[in-house]
Amino acid sequence: MAPLQKRSLLALFLEVIWALAIIVVFISQGGAAKFNTDASFRLIMDGLWVGGLILYWWLFSSIERRLDQFDERDKIILEKSLKVQWMAVILSLVAWVMGLSEHFHTEGQIPVIFLSLIFFSTLIVSTLAQSVGILFGYWRMNRNA
Amino acid sequence: MPKIQNRIRRLRFNRDEMTQQELAEKAGCTRQTIIAVEQGKYVPSLELSFKIARAFNVPLEEVFQYE
Repeated sequence: MAPLQKRSLLALFLEVIWALAIIVVFISQGGAAKFNTDASFRLIMDGLWVGGLILYWWLFSSIERRLDQFDERDKIILEKSLKVQWMAVILSLVAWVMGLSEHFHTEGQIPVIFLSLIFFSTLIVSTLAQSVGILFGYWRMNRNA
Repeated sequence: MPKIQNRIRRLRFNRDEMTQQELAEKAGCTRQTIIAVEQGKYVPSLELSFKIARAFNVPLEEVFQYE
């Protein structure tokens, strides 16, 4: 396994834990209603988002700087993973738009909390999709003998 | 269909069984990339191809052949 491949597997594992932790904390602390009114709850959630993003950034940026562990082949795979990431983000936004439009159609307006939820869920999808895209890239390259 | 073949395995053997790690260090890439190139799963850039040829101290066409 290439170093970037190992790192992506680790990142995927940590990102799944991160996403589950966010969902569990969000639901167990009171969900959307409390998020709207409780500033300390929002702070906890913000800490989780930002902490996860810093970890994600460190996981990939630290390996990109190591020339003995990251070369042109890894760079190609990393760049190609952006297609998977982009597609996942678009699909996530389409799902949000369709779901919210249908659910709040009669009200004619969408609660402001969904702005945060859309943004942060898109970030989660984006980070997960990049790791999946990298792993898919290695699998595809190894298959093309 | 034309394909780029390589003689890296043979050249390593001729150099006292040079390891893939040694070649990777000389060429400035990872061992996994050398494995992928050797197995024909990845076609390296022109720059890396020259570095691999230089690691063996042979011309480029002695390492890679276009068939």
